[in-house]
Amino acid sequence: MKRILFLLVVVILFISSCTPSKPIARSEAYKGMYSEKPLTILLMPPINKSTNVEAKEYFHSTLNIPIDNAGFYVIPPILSMEILRKESAYDAELFLNASLNKFGEIFGADLALFTVISKWDKSGLAAKVYVDVEYIFKSTKTNEIVYTRKGTVTYDASVNSGAPGALGVLVNMTASAINTAATKYVDVARACNAYTFKDLPAGKYSPLYGTDGALPAGKKVFKAVLNSKYR
Amino acid sequence: MKRLIFISISVLLLAACTTQKPLYTWENYETTSYNYLKNSDEKATQELIKTYQKIIEKQKGTRATVPPGIYADYGFLLLQANKTEEGKAMLSKEIALYPESKIFIDRILKILEK
Repeated sequence: MKRILFLLVVVILFISSCTPSKPIARSEAYKGMYSEKPLTILLMPPINKSTNVEAKEYFHSTLNIPIDNAGFYVIPPILSMEILRKESAYDAELFLNASLNKFGEIFGADLALFTVISKWDKSGLAAKVYVDVEYIFKSTKTNEIVYTRKGTVTYDASVNSGAPGALGVLVNMTASAINTAATKYVDVARACNAYTFKDLPAGKYSPLYGTDGALPAGKKVFKAVLNSKYR
Repeated sequence: MKRLIFISISVLLLAACTTQKPLYTWENYETTSYNYLKNSDEKATQELIKTYQKIIEKQKGTRATVPPGIYADYGFLLLQANKTEEGKAMLSKEIALYPESKIFIDRILKILEK
């Protein structure tokens, strides 16, 4: 009996810790990342097609951390943004299908990251933010896409105050409303980035560099429900 | 046999549960850099500068070194505030720590010399 129980636990652990039904290895899904071994990444100013004017900055100020923490070198984001602005390259859409060799020359970038935000809608009452965002890493040498994922994210910004009973519900509602209105849309972008880049191959500065090719890649197009606890 | 099962369970549990420590830590970088990009006023600039200083002074990440871009962007803000020598020194630190930044940073230093 005990042994069966143990076995069951092992099996459950296996299932929960492992992958979706048909995983593709990262080395297969993101071939260019493994063959070109990029190190330096230029953040292109996010392309904002949503109705929220600030979405561009929410993303630009949160993108470098997950990519640096994955072991890459992100070209200094504030300085590069300034130069791109001066060189009239602030509208990254112009370059999405153009040659990127110049960005390799000027910035020493191996890859350029395009971020396309096509939706950023808030629902005040439900304290939810709905985001559609696409991430595209392109090689500045070959102009090929080496990594891309597109997410439909529902972000739940409600706060649980922990107060019980009817009063608790009331407290919860106000807390959520304030939280949505005033603060932390930065958290929404951060959660989108963190979720997406979970399967980003490790870069040179990561101890996992060159060892993660067999791990599963995430879905190219995904849906996710996230909240501020998601890191 | 039991021992083996126990060990395999522990390993699995560990693999599933440990959240890896990040390579770098960032203080409140996201918020302060957002405010800077959005408002670029004096207050936002000062707050971002403070964040850079904290990140440089105190690294709790596994690499125990200043993250990419921090010295350079900090230097850029110093240059904007007319602290030219300090700013240039920070840019040079970026190259020393991350040689792959040389192409870009050298270009900035050259512009400054003109």
